[in-house]
Amino acid sequence: MALTNHHDGPDRSLPTWVTQDTSETAEEALKALQTYKKKDGEKVIVRFKAVGNAPIMKQNFFKITSSNRFQAVIQFLRKELGYKGNEPLHTYINLAFSPAPDDTVANLFKSFQTDNHLIVNYSTTAAWG
Amino acid sequence: MSTFGTTRHHSPAVQNYSNRDRVTNYHTALFRRLTWDGTVPLEIRVDPKELPANSERGLECYYIQAPRVSYLPLLMPEIRRFFNELVFDETAAMELKDDEWWFETAEGTLLKWHWPIGLIYDNHSISLSTKPSSSRSSSKPASLRLTLHLASPPNDKLLLAPTPEACKIAFMGQLKEADFIRWGNTKRITGLKQQEQDGLWEGIKEHNFDDYWRVASKVTPTTGSHRAQSPGPPPSSASMHTRPPSADPAGPSERDGAYNVRSVPVRLYLSDGPVMQDLVPPLLEDGTPHTLRHYLTSHLPLLFPPQPPAPPPSRSNPHPRPPPVQDLAYPLIQGIPAPLESEMAWLGACLAGADGWVNICVGLRT
Repeated sequence: MALTNHHDGPDRSLPTWVTQDTSETAEEALKALQTYKKKDGEKVIVRFKAVGNAPIMKQNFFKITSSNRFQAVIQFLRKELGYKGNEPLHTYINLAFSPAPDDTVANLFKSFQTDNHLIVNYSTTAAWG
Repeated sequence: MSTFGTTRHHSPAVQNYSNRDRVTNYHTALFRRLTWDGTVPLEIRVDPKELPANSERGLECYYIQAPRVSYLPLLMPEIRRFFNELVFDETAAMELKDDEWWFETAEGTLLKWHWPIGLIYDNHSISLSTKPSSSRSSSKPASLRLTLHLASPPNDKLLLAPTPEACKIAFMGQLKEADFIRWGNTKRITGLKQQEQDGLWEGIKEHNFDDYWRVASKVTPTTGSHRAQSPGPPPSSASMHTRPPSADPAGPSERDGAYNVRSVPVRLYLSDGPVMQDLVPPLLEDGTPHTLRHYLTSHLPLLFPPQPPAPPPSRSNPHPRPPPVQDLAYPLIQGIPAPLESEMAWLGACLAGADGWVNICVGLRT
């Protein structure tokens, strides 16, 4: 079966439809790629909710640029709470899981928003980790 | 399974159904096995500027065929052993702290600890596809060339500690996120005993298919529904092989079926660029399976242009075909240029990584 060579290197022979090339196609493809790389400045609402003994925030709605990584949200939250780098702070989406720190707010919002909010729970102890 | 040896009590219809199910299960197990057994060649070279004094310079390169489903922190003990025994002298080996080691590709892309190795490899392949072909032909080795740095890790970009423990936590997070995407909750994962959860990670660590799938089959959707699967070799080929008994789904039920999930955990990777994630329903509104072509055309219409409708039939051409459109890119899934007719639900059940995610890397046809 053709699919058994899936562990081969990039120099394996790809089907003809992959390798057909014309410089015009290449240029168009690169241009298309650039379009998708552009970041839009769209913002989404992130709502922070404390879990357990974590300190409660007075203002817990924030508009955050959606191209930010989740890591930036964690850093923002730490700053708001006045938490230093070595104090433990666990963050979760929808009381269910910790996202990868390099995932974007846009992606998390699209997949997990509730009533147009991305709900981020935070806790000083591991809860759903 | 009860479908064997009890045909006496079965009506022919039931028997046909279970035969078909058996073939389906066989194919599911086969593709899961192929995904699991996939490996990629890595060539790991210590940054020559960082080689400690008195190192054995002729040997500073380490070659490994690494499982796609594994992670860099899990390879570290082996890599460390090689360099300590053969390259560094004793004093240097004592002084080096391996929690300060980190990797870049030869082109200078930082490698994240929590990405599966297969994803790192495919992501590099598509990045090469955007470079002018002249530079590509010279840098076209089968192995992915990595530079190992021995000090000053850029921790703000690596995001996680380089330990197997941190990697395991990230892995479990991904598994739960995938579970949430599929079912709207993480009950399947949280319902596993601690020992079972640990077993999933141990299975990856030891690269043991049976250990991993013994637990993973409880959380991964089955493909034993009545729907057509893709791609499917002719059923006759099934009888020529014996499937691994450990990979038998525990009685496929409609409820756990791949086509009954809310959404398939899918991430779309563009070269050196954004990672896109969205809800990917297994079926379209008209009830037909959501295909890879439909998914790519709706997310990247400039690279995968929509197919125009066929012209109206005429007397000379009673069955007209739509004019051909040329795709400007191709999708790589587990290193395979995937057929665009593949169904997203099937990909989710058979070609997902160990963390439950289908990673689609988009390369350019340049």
